Order: sequence, then structure tokens, then C-alpha cells
Amino acid sequence: MIPQEAQYREWMLASLQGDASCYRKLLAELTRHLRGYYARRLGLDGAEDAVQETLIAIHTRRGTYDPSRPFTAWVYGIARYKLIDVYRRERRGQTVPLDAAGALFAADQVEEAGVKRDVTKLLARLPEAKRRLVQAVKLDGESIADTAARTGLSEVSVKVAVHRAVKAMGETLRDGNADG
Amino acid sequence: MRTDDLIERLSGALEPAPKGQVVRVLGLGMGAGALLSALLMTATIGIRADLIEAMGGSAFWLKFVYTLVVAGLALAIVDRLARPDGTAGRFALLLAVPILVMAVLAAREFLPADATIQHALIMGHSARVCSILIATLALPLFAGLFWSLRRLAPTRLTEAGAAAGLLAGSAAATIYAFHCTESTPTFILLWYSAGILATALLGAALGRMLLRWS
Repeated sequence: MIPQEAQYREWMLASLQGDASCYRKLLAELTRHLRGYYARRLGLDGAEDAVQETLIAIHTRRGTYDPSRPFTAWVYGIARYKLIDVYRRERRGQTVPLDAAGALFAADQVEEAGVKRDVTKLLARLPEAKRRLVQAVKLDGESIADTAARTGLSEVSVKVAVHRAVKAMGETLRDGNADG
Repeated sequence: MRTDDLIERLSGALEPAPKGQVVRVLGLGMGAGALLSALLMTATIGIRADLIEAMGGSAFWLKFVYTLVVAGLALAIVDRLARPDGTAGRFALLLAVPILVMAVLAAREFLPADATIQHALIMGHSARVCSILIATLALPLFAGLFWSLRRLAPTRLTEAGAAAGLLAGSAAATIYAFHCTESTPTFILLWYSAGILATALLGAALGRMLLRWS
């Protein structure tokens, strides 16, 4: 049993009754798990889109949740389906193992902490301006257009700057001196 | 859009979810399909002329018990597979029960009979068309159930397609039983099952392609 099951299920049942504040809490928590789940499998680039698609699917298909069954398994079913969908669209012939819902929820705290630490380290090596752009676009999920409008840069320069920064981070990782 | 904004938007517009959505959507697709299928049958091959008399005999009801039990189990499986975490589970195993019961009944009449009678038991008088008519009558139900599933959240698409085909086939066989004048367990076990199986296979083949939702 996933440790968060009871809490999430309670929020879900309240949400199905129309309780918006429970729903907001629930979606925020799920977003955290989903981000970790997709980032590990799709990379930071594809993760945020997949997270948003999954949130929308959870919303539009919430009537298919059967309260007599575990809520975490229901969410995991959708998350895994969306992952397969992304692989299919990108024509990556990848198979997705049929894990237990723990793949989405349990190992996550440890791993997510690890991922966060690595990303923070890598980010720290970037120049201040670039770091802000990467933070906004890749981690906070802000759109290119919004970031451009906020910073006064053109969309193209935002895109190029972020792309280069992510590439540089990737190279740092590959050279194996993320810890340096 | 930022993910935080998306969450705000989704929770801001939250309304209580209608209860029993899966049952309602499945009922709608299946009801419309069954209606069309019944209309199609009465308009073409028609209901058997001796329906009222036949209803007096127990042989008449055997077909309905068989197809309705299979349809009931198939409905339970579809209801589960329409949800993201659903598996066919024990209901798939339970399908063996009606089939075994029919097999025992068929064996009891078939095995002791001599060759001419065995041939007659197998062929009845409509063996050539029975399965094809059942599979054809299943098409409206099939379409209705696929329509339903696309509005729900199946994630095992091949299995969900097969289960929907099984349900469409067994429901169509129930409708067809109002036309068909055969009543021996041997005939029903062979040709009814073949028609139902064909629709289930069609569902399995099309599930991955047609049941994808986003």
C-alpha cells in the first residue's frame, strides 16, 4: 500500500463532491510525483507537457475512479498510459514495464530529492541570466512566450538561450563532473 | 501555460462529478447499439413465427441463459477495463463456467448419438448462416461500446477491445435467439460461440487502434 493512499483518496472523494480546495491540494501533490516520474523517463524537456496532459486526463476522466479501489493505482494507470502515448507519438519503440503504482509514488521522495540536488548543482554553474530562464521555462513550466514577455527578450532568444543552457548542463553531466 | 495555472483553472471550474459515470456511458452506447441491432433484425430476417409456442419449451430458454450469462460476465469485464487501473480479473475465468455447462449438455446428447444424428446436431438447419448473422447483428453494439469506451479511460486497449467485442457478440446472440429456431446444446455451443468469438477477436484487433483516447 502506498503511504499517501489514505490522504489522497480522502481528497479525491471530496473533489468528486465538488470541493475545490481539496482538489487543488490533490493536483499539486500529484504534480510533484508526476514531474519526478516523467522527468526520469522523458527528460526535463518532455516532462512538463506530459504532466499537464496527465492532469487534464485526471480531470476529464475523474468519473472513472471507483471509490472502492485504491486511488494511487488509478492515477498510476493514467500516468503510465500517458507515458506510453508519448513514446508512441515519438515513435520510440520503448516498452513500459507494468510496475506497481509505487513506481509513481513510493521511491519518489528519495529519487526526487536526488534529481533536485543534481539539477540545482548544474544550474548553479550557469550564468545568472541563463539560470533564470531555465528555471522559468524548464522547472516552473512557464511558456516561452510568457518568459519572453516578462524579460523583454524575443521568443527566439529565450528559446536559444534555454536550449544552449540545457545542452551545456547535459555536457557537464556527461563529463561526469556534476559533483565538482 | 504554467502547470500551476492549469491546476488553478481545473480546480476553479470544479463541479461535483456525476455518480456512476462508467455505468451511464456504457449503458448509453450499449442501449443505442442494442436498439439498432434489434431493429436491423426485425427489419431483415425477422422474429421467428412460432415465438409464443416456443417460449413454452425449456429448450428455447437455454440459448438465452447461455448468451445472457456470457453477456453479464462480459459487461462486468468491460466495466473494469473501462477504468485506468482495471484488469479483467476473476470474471475472465468465470467465463469458463457457462461454456463448460454447455459443453457437458452438448456431450450428453452428442456422444451417444449415431453418425447421422451427430451430423444433424452439428449442422442443424442454419449452421451456414448462424455465426455470420450473429457477428453482423453485433456491429451496431460493437460501435456503441467502442464509442462508450473512448469516453472512459481504458488503458489495456487490446483487452478492453476484446471484452467489448465479447459483450457485443453475446448481446447480439441474445437478440438473434428471437429469430433462430435451433435449440440443441451442440448447435448453440458451436455456432453461437463462434459468432461471439469472432466479434471478440475483431475487438482485440481494433482495440489498440480505435480505443486510444487523450
